[in-house]
Amino acid sequence: MSMICWTRMKLSAAAAATLFLCGLACVPPARPAAAQETATVQISVKNRQFEPAEIRGPANKPIVLRVKNLDATPMEFESVTLRVEKVVPANSEGVINLRPLQPGRYNFFDDFHQQTTGVLIIQ
Amino acid sequence: MNLLNHSRRRASNQLVASFANRFSESIATAINVVFARCHVSACVALTFAAGMGAYVTSAHADEVYREIETKYIFGFTEGSGIGLEGEKEFSPDTVVNSGKRDGHYTATETKLKLEVTPNQFVQFEFGPIVAYHNIQNVTGLDNLNTLAFAGFFGEFRYLLLDRSASSPLSLTLSIEPEWHNIDETSGQSVVNYGLETNLNGDLELLKNRAYLGFNLLYEPERTLTQSGTEDEATLGISTAFAYRILPNVTIGAETWYLRHYDGMGFSAFTGDAVYVGPNLYVQLTPKMFATFAWNTQVAGHEVGAPGNLDLADFSRNRFKIKASVEF
Repeated sequence: MSMICWTRMKLSAAAAATLFLCGLACVPPARPAAAQETATVQISVKNRQFEPAEIRGPANKPIVLRVKNLDATPMEFESVTLRVEKVVPANSEGVINLRPLQPGRYNFFDDFHQQTTGVLIIQ
Repeated sequence: MNLLNHSRRRASNQLVASFANRFSESIATAINVVFARCHVSACVALTFAAGMGAYVTSAHADEVYREIETKYIFGFTEGSGIGLEGEKEFSPDTVVNSGKRDGHYTATETKLKLEVTPNQFVQFEFGPIVAYHNIQNVTGLDNLNTLAFAGFFGEFRYLLLDRSASSPLSLTLSIEPEWHNIDETSGQSVVNYGLETNLNGDLELLKNRAYLGFNLLYEPERTLTQSGTEDEATLGISTAFAYRILPNVTIGAETWYLRHYDGMGFSAFTGDAVYVGPNLYVQLTPKMFATFAWNTQVAGHEVGAPGNLDLADFSRNRFKIKASVEF
């Protein structure tokens, strides 16, 4: 096989692999084909406390979580199980898009003030 | 009502403790049997038993322990974690290989990693590689004492299976293309391409406290030298245990079995090696952590050579030191 053919094959393979990976990056893991309509859940932070400290959302649906920081200092919404972190500046709102979740309890906290904790209950 | 709940909880804890005792004894016994031939049973079994013993005493203290990212808690074995959406980290990751059959051999490879998690399903890592080689009087290798830029790498991690309340198992596929301009073993100038493909899995044994990890590895490589082209492949499987002894400190032990082949397939087997060793993960601050791992080769075979280790394809010891800063 000529060098040119070999090089073309390598380039094609690399391009195919790149396209595959890019495609894969856009596709979330298998999830129920149930309605993908979005639910919105709101929570506030005031005096370094989540209000309410316990919020609820529907299972197997994308959720838009709106975090309103009413304090005069920034906070960082963080959760390992939700796999998100977002800095919300003082007196502003952060919007976090959550993937469809299985039923269960998902803890979160303010990474800048770690005693500030809450839980999202998916049911 | 409170008293009733307290009694139920106490009974439940006793049941968990009893189960954990039996489980830790079983694990220690199994480890003893498996590794007796390798003369390492004490190290691994003690680590496992200590972890499971601690499990007994702390089953009621779960609320102190928050969820952690599992990616780096197992040493050389990687957990399934892909970071948090929006997270960016810089992490120098150094692997030191030391010891060949004779002479003095030390080779380090440091990946200066930038890790980015753009969404809740994928993670990207990339960066340059720096290598240091100190080789003196090792059969088959030229003497060398150099520090040099050694190439680039990229890594794509995709979460295949998400942990949930009903399933403690999490799986991630990792694909890592690499380009080296220095041979990892000899330190000589080459052009080398590798594609490290890994399946990283972990199982949460006890919520936020104890984890069992495993990796499946396939790494084909092509090296272009002045004398021609050489292909090789490494196949590996590992299992690891990690236990949080403190909210910010995790200890554990792992076992790796590696096989090396000439060629990208599995027909030309050249040797295999079994590594075992401990690891430590410390969360220094909310935005910084460090990990340390040591693996030593305890069994193996090199085709066509006497001895119980494969010190041609693998080193006698390997160490991993990693620090990470999130920004």
